[in-house]
Amino acid sequence: MSATVETIREAVSRTREARERVQQHRTTDAVIAVLTQTAKNWLDPNSRWRKQAVEYTPRHTGFSEAMVQEAIDLTFGAINYESLGELLDRELGNRRVLDEFCMRGRVQSRAIPPRLLVHFLAGNVPMPGIVSICCGLLLRTANLVKVSPRDPVFPSLFIESVREVDAELADCAASTDWSRGELALTQTALEDADGVIAYGDDHTISALRQLAGQQARFLGYGHKLSFGVVAREAMTEENLPQLAQAAAFDASVYDQLGCLSPHVYYVEERGQLGPRKFAAALADAMAAYQARVPHGQLSVEEAAQVAKFRSGYEFRAASDKRFVVWNSLESNDWTVIYDDSPSFIPSCLNRTIFVKPTDGYKRVLDAIQKIASNVSTVGVAPMHERAAGFAGDLARMGVHRVCPIGQMQRPPLSWHHDGRANLADLVSWTDLG
Amino acid sequence: MDKSASELQQRVLAMISRGVADRTTEVDFNQLARDVFAFQYERCAVYRAYCERRKQTPQSVMHWKEIPATPTSAFKDFALTCFPVAEAVAEFHTSGTTRDMAGKHFLATRELYHAAIGPNFAAHLLPDYARLPMMVLVPSPEEAPHSSLSHMMGVVMEEFGADDSAYYVDGGQLLLEKLVRDLCEAQWAHQPVFLLGTAFAFVHLFDHLQQQNLKFEMAEGSRAMETGGFKGRSREVPKADLYALFERGLGIPTTCIVSEYGMTELSTQFYDGTLRAGKRTDWKVVPPWARVLVIDPNTGREAAENERGLIRIFDLANLWSMMSVQTEDLGIARVSDLGVTEFEVLGRAAGAEVRGCSLNAENIVVE
Repeated sequence: MSATVETIREAVSRTREARERVQQHRTTDAVIAVLTQTAKNWLDPNSRWRKQAVEYTPRHTGFSEAMVQEAIDLTFGAINYESLGELLDRELGNRRVLDEFCMRGRVQSRAIPPRLLVHFLAGNVPMPGIVSICCGLLLRTANLVKVSPRDPVFPSLFIESVREVDAELADCAASTDWSRGELALTQTALEDADGVIAYGDDHTISALRQLAGQQARFLGYGHKLSFGVVAREAMTEENLPQLAQAAAFDASVYDQLGCLSPHVYYVEERGQLGPRKFAAALADAMAAYQARVPHGQLSVEEAAQVAKFRSGYEFRAASDKRFVVWNSLESNDWTVIYDDSPSFIPSCLNRTIFVKPTDGYKRVLDAIQKIASNVSTVGVAPMHERAAGFAGDLARMGVHRVCPIGQMQRPPLSWHHDGRANLADLVSWTDLG
Repeated sequence: MDKSASELQQRVLAMISRGVADRTTEVDFNQLARDVFAFQYERCAVYRAYCERRKQTPQSVMHWKEIPATPTSAFKDFALTCFPVAEAVAEFHTSGTTRDMAGKHFLATRELYHAAIGPNFAAHLLPDYARLPMMVLVPSPEEAPHSSLSHMMGVVMEEFGADDSAYYVDGGQLLLEKLVRDLCEAQWAHQPVFLLGTAFAFVHLFDHLQQQNLKFEMAEGSRAMETGGFKGRSREVPKADLYALFERGLGIPTTCIVSEYGMTELSTQFYDGTLRAGKRTDWKVVPPWARVLVIDPNTGREAAENERGLIRIFDLANLWSMMSVQTEDLGIARVSDLGVTEFEVLGRAAGAEVRGCSLNAENIVVE
């Protein structure tokens, strides 16, 4: 049901009242314990939250039930006592600064959270939204969550699952939905916000940034893309099956629609095995992943996109030896396209992955120069000294995350999402002494 | 041209010459389509390689629906001909709807190409055999020798246009003032006119009429043929709104506007049956020498009636290039009351909504 000005104001005042109670009655450590228990509940294979998510989210997200199961494991597997504590300690120096004045350098300081944090969620990948709500609860602030039409269920279920563990804490967050076109409602939501976390395309982010008040702390996360690089040392007979499996996992999770999903794997030549061997092994691994976690149902438009992309390459590959195409039969479930040209070509996604040969890291840097500012994550294999040098070059080009292939979809809670702090940018400080 | 090719061309010409109303039997069409497929399979190595990859050969294909379709993107990557491309008498290029290079359609002979144009055009736009001044809002074939649309306009103007027919694009510019002047004269003389052009050219015309506060009441019998999308060249106007503008700006009722669906890669055009039936319809008629399938992109198989999918065309007049072409347009098909398949075009299969948070091929520009 769509929100109205009244329901938004009512939700804001409810969460604010809850915030007052929680700030008095809960320590940060207690909130960490609640979130840890909540995540543990989700991870239970028989959890009712899991069952409800599997039942209700596929129709909105377009993911298969098995993909929703995988999403739950990835999302809640990352949330535990250690990771939540590490997130706070790393960003704020010490998690207790949210509860009391703590010695920081020569003075004592206390972190003051925003009073009202408004979250604008986007897309169908649940993890960013859940982490966003967790951050708001860790700060013990009032949270208004505008869910995405692509996933209206997951964030609401999460808040309900927190309620099961700690009703008063759950009252600090309210999820609601309205159409992006309803400017008046967006303005109502933002009228008292002093913190905003927004996900979406560049246009949406900049529109919300304009609407948010001058005084509001604003964290905007735009759409991004990712890719992987396999160095020649990894291309051994012994290593290939495992590597291909890891690469297929990263390319298949969330049907490749997430910003951490690779569009292409560059494979260095002159290894024991060549790039084409990697592509063939990747195709086998994509098929195996499909058998375990099927691709979701595509709309006609999306399927047309994939069919057009794939048939064009299939036609080329039939007579042009620079191309090879492997694909699922009688469906658009997955496609691996080997293409001799090193230039970066964005994929149509939905488990359509390019494999391209490269002379080395230097050539990869040349190929991605024009898209570097849009890159979220670069997966590498192996993580050796040469890769560390490559990571340094990528960092200078504006890439914010380099990780092993197989871990692209598992960013730690304390990662610098789009190169920024998650909590530190939301709090202000009071010094004592 | 060798004997077998010449004989095949004669058979296709014979089918076309029986006219649009001819109900060529399924058996006839199937036989000829399979023979054309065998011919193209033999003559075009690139196409043969694709068919082999899909394990579909003249021996295995029993029905025209199974003939592998060439994706339109392949016309950009290869010269798809069943004759030495150096012997081409003309070549048509796709315009820049996408950022990459143009697709090319090479003609071995004009004979077949022209044969497919005339009778189909006349049946759908001139069912009353009128000979009208054609006001053509595209460049002349001389100005745009590689435009299949200009070429077609040249053919129909030559065959069906009155002597004072003219092109109203020069040097890439729409000649709005000349157009308005000639419309004015025709209105005063009660002379019905026939306007032909792309949707975006008409939008420019209507914007101009509105700016100048001009309104025409063209004589009864006036009509218009509209083709193609907007391709970013003018503001996008929904079809119903565009047709209302014809009525408001020119006094041409929506029952006198026919929409054409044509492609550089094809030889045959498709028209809706509005003028023929005397009432507005968006369903396009498939002439006897062609077939249309709507393909469910999720399965690659024929979509159910009235279900959306990708339009696939089988055009026997494409004897010398690729008879079976997979377009990138979405549409629906149904069997009409007369028992023939008709289809509706719903637009290009681009710009699917982003479900996740990744940029994709549609929303990032690399170049």
